[in-house]
Amino acid sequence: MNMDGVLVGGTEYIVAAYAIVWGGLFAYGISLMFRVKKSEQEKAS
Amino acid sequence: MNRARLIDTGLLLLASTLLGFGAYHALSVAPPERYMGEVYRILYVHVPSAWSALIAFTVTFAANIAYLWKSRPGADALAEASAEVGLLFCGLLLASGSIFARPTWGVWWQWDPRLTTAAIMFFAYAGYMALRQFVTDPEKRATWSAVVGILIFVDVPIVYFSVKWFGAGLHQLPSSPQTTSPALVTALRLNAFAFLALYGWFLRLRYRLARNNQTHESMEPPAVRTA
Repeated sequence: MNMDGVLVGGTEYIVAAYAIVWGGLFAYGISLMFRVKKSEQEKAS
Repeated sequence: MNRARLIDTGLLLLASTLLGFGAYHALSVAPPERYMGEVYRILYVHVPSAWSALIAFTVTFAANIAYLWKSRPGADALAEASAEVGLLFCGLLLASGSIFARPTWGVWWQWDPRLTTAAIMFFAYAGYMALRQFVTDPEKRATWSAVVGILIFVDVPIVYFSVKWFGAGLHQLPSSPQTTSPALVTALRLNAFAFLALYGWFLRLRYRLARNNQTHESMEPPAVRTA
């Protein structure tokens, strides 16, 4: 925090938050595509 | 390509494009906030996660009512799909909120009304999904989870209004475009629509999975289903 009471820095928190949110969304999307594909294969067989 | 796949692909493209523009605006175009400096940029993924979770749980609630009213398996599948996607967004909401809290409030977690009710919401819907795994009979599962889904939805409006009803804790009061600098609003809108498009894409895929599972279950012999 600087003399005016403004938070400075904090890049590591921004990186962590975006990595978790985007990583979570990406991982869920990929896993969902595989789960749907597997279920459609089971349905067809 | 059939119509359903075309819509799925369109939603994914829309979400990816909006996420790209949203990230660019959130991390590069939007100026630092007066007091929070750069750290406030976490809010561009935190707030859309919250809105998406609340929308998802509201869709689950509506689908639960629809199931109890009409007993249609499609409504049960929609409730399951939206609850799982909502749980994902709620988990991301809590994680990003905790990371935001550390540099701005000095703590990772506080039993503030908004945070506490959001945590209750997360664990309630985790329990809802667990219930769906434990009950093997499809009709009992759909009925019981619909009742539970309606009961736990009580917490959703409480989460939304908690900062107004229970007084200000550490969590700030809701902002609006009238109280926020226009320079900050564009990035939030882009990310909000990106998350909404992602929610739509996830929901469609998860609904299809739930319907396929229902078809698979209906083909199993009853002895296997009730075991």
